[in-house]
Amino acid sequence: MASLPKRIIKETERLASDPVPGIGAEPHEDNLRYFAVTIEGPKESPYEDGIFELELYLPDDYPMEAPKVRFLTRIYHPNIDRLGRICLDVLKNNWSPALQIRTVLLSIQALLASPNPNDPLANDVAEDWIKNEELAISKAREWTTLYAEKK
Amino acid sequence: MGNALTKLDESENAFKGRSASIGSGSTRPTNVSERRRRMHMGISNNARSRTNSTGSQLMYKKKSTRERDSMKESFAKQLVVRYNESVDGGYLAPHGCYTFEKLDYDPSLVRSLITARKLAPFYIPLQDFDESWTREELIKIVDGLPLHAAVNENPEEFEDTPIGNLKVQNIDELVDKSLSKKEQRKQRSKIFKARLHRKRILWQEQENEAFLEQKLEAKKEPNPSKRNLALPSADLNHTIYKKGIECPICFLYYPEPLNYSRCCLQPICTECFVQIKRGDPHFPHEEVDPTKPVTNDDEKDPNLLISEPASCAYCATPNFGVTYQPPENRKTGIGGTPPGSYKAAHDEEKASVSNRSGSEEGPKTPSKSPEDPEVVTSDMIRPDWKAKLDKERLRLARRSANATAIHVSNQLVSPDHPSRRDSTTDSGSIPNARSSRLVTNPMVELENQMVEQAIRLSLVDEEERKNSQVHR
Repeated sequence: MASLPKRIIKETERLASDPVPGIGAEPHEDNLRYFAVTIEGPKESPYEDGIFELELYLPDDYPMEAPKVRFLTRIYHPNIDRLGRICLDVLKNNWSPALQIRTVLLSIQALLASPNPNDPLANDVAEDWIKNEELAISKAREWTTLYAEKK
Repeated sequence: MGNALTKLDESENAFKGRSASIGSGSTRPTNVSERRRRMHMGISNNARSRTNSTGSQLMYKKKSTRERDSMKESFAKQLVVRYNESVDGGYLAPHGCYTFEKLDYDPSLVRSLITARKLAPFYIPLQDFDESWTREELIKIVDGLPLHAAVNENPEEFEDTPIGNLKVQNIDELVDKSLSKKEQRKQRSKIFKARLHRKRILWQEQENEAFLEQKLEAKKEPNPSKRNLALPSADLNHTIYKKGIECPICFLYYPEPLNYSRCCLQPICTECFVQIKRGDPHFPHEEVDPTKPVTNDDEKDPNLLISEPASCAYCATPNFGVTYQPPENRKTGIGGTPPGSYKAAHDEEKASVSNRSGSEEGPKTPSKSPEDPEVVTSDMIRPDWKAKLDKERLRLARRSANATAIHVSNQLVSPDHPSRRDSTTDSGSIPNARSSRLVTNPMVELENQMVEQAIRLSLVDEEERKNSQVHR
């Protein structure tokens, strides 16, 4: 395998020396492109008080290609499906090589604070969200307690 | 395209002794003329195949593959970093932060842009930079840098691919003849790629060694005027590297000035700039209503396929482009003084320092439109983007035509299959009057559909012909 690009080394160092509040990202020992991530649910969202685990992988073409990110913790959200895949513009068409692991994780945290049921990934959840938002939010809160409670 | 670029093309053509008649507006005359010839051959082949054997077709094909191979090789040769091709302390080819496979810009265009000082040269980057380094330390570090980054010699992709003797041009011997024609073609192209990868490594290694040898010889030579003047002087290395700037994309340190985005004036090194390009052709993204069924991409009109110009990596302004203001304190290498004779005058050093403190907030020029002659856009260094889009449209059109043909032949096998009735009632393309008649006679229906398909295909071909004419 080719050596790790300087950019990934520096990003990892900077994540450790200047961490983002509410977000953790640690590279695996045996694969420095693979990160174990935790994101705290944003305040005043149905995900508040939850800690969500994610996995992040930097593909060979990173930073010209977006990192691959997936929720490991189950979550009730119109833009995140059953498999934890995330529908987020900066992970797809709007990825820019000037973005970083840090900014991507902040965008995901922001997505938790403002779900967008009009561009859904989990169709059933989005439908619930549009039909009865209050009910959907209470279900999201329920799932947070069920699957993402702080230990 | 701006005037400046057309001028560059012409000088490039003149430089290589290409005839001025081809491609005054095109940047790849060989490509266009080849495509034109292929089209002629295609026509004559068709005419011939009716009367003659297929032998002539094969001969033509062989030649064109070889021509394409040699084009790919000369493309790759232009991406070798050569120490005696320098501009203001940088070079004409990338250092290798990104792999060979990721270099798909037009190298001859970028080389002319760099020598014209419209784009920053490809500098050898510093992995780290420490302001506390003394002049001697810095010079020593820079002197030890290789021309090109280390390359993975055995990528997994080519692990089991035989490359044979690199000096032998004909690689047909290496292809397994027991495979099907299609598999043979695939294998041949893989062997070619693996060989080219190895050749690129060798070409670059030769250049690295020559660079090293010249440096060693220069150290032994007491008389500075007798040293190889293509090598950068210690003064030049010190001047350009004494204050690095980190490229926000690759996080490596480069000499100033770098390129700046035309819209938001953010720095970007040339190596990262040449990586930024249009995304793959796609259908326009629609916000979908989750309560309605989604249209499959296969059912969409291939002509709706779009590709958008690359956006600025920093501020997402469409049609990414950069500007570059060449340094005032040095003009060395191509179009300047020999890099080996560069001396930093005392007052010049001071001047450059004060210059730099002024330029710390980036260039003073306001943002520029993509049409500005000083701007180099991502599309400019990949003039083939339109051809790629057309190719993808054509591929999709062919695929949907094939799908229809398969669908139609399925109906032929089982005319009573329920899908047949569905297709005649659902399909809006078949007029009702006709379909009601057709239900009674599946053979006529089939024929009609095939005729429709033929018309569609020939429309697609006509479209392609027109497009290729436009490109000319």
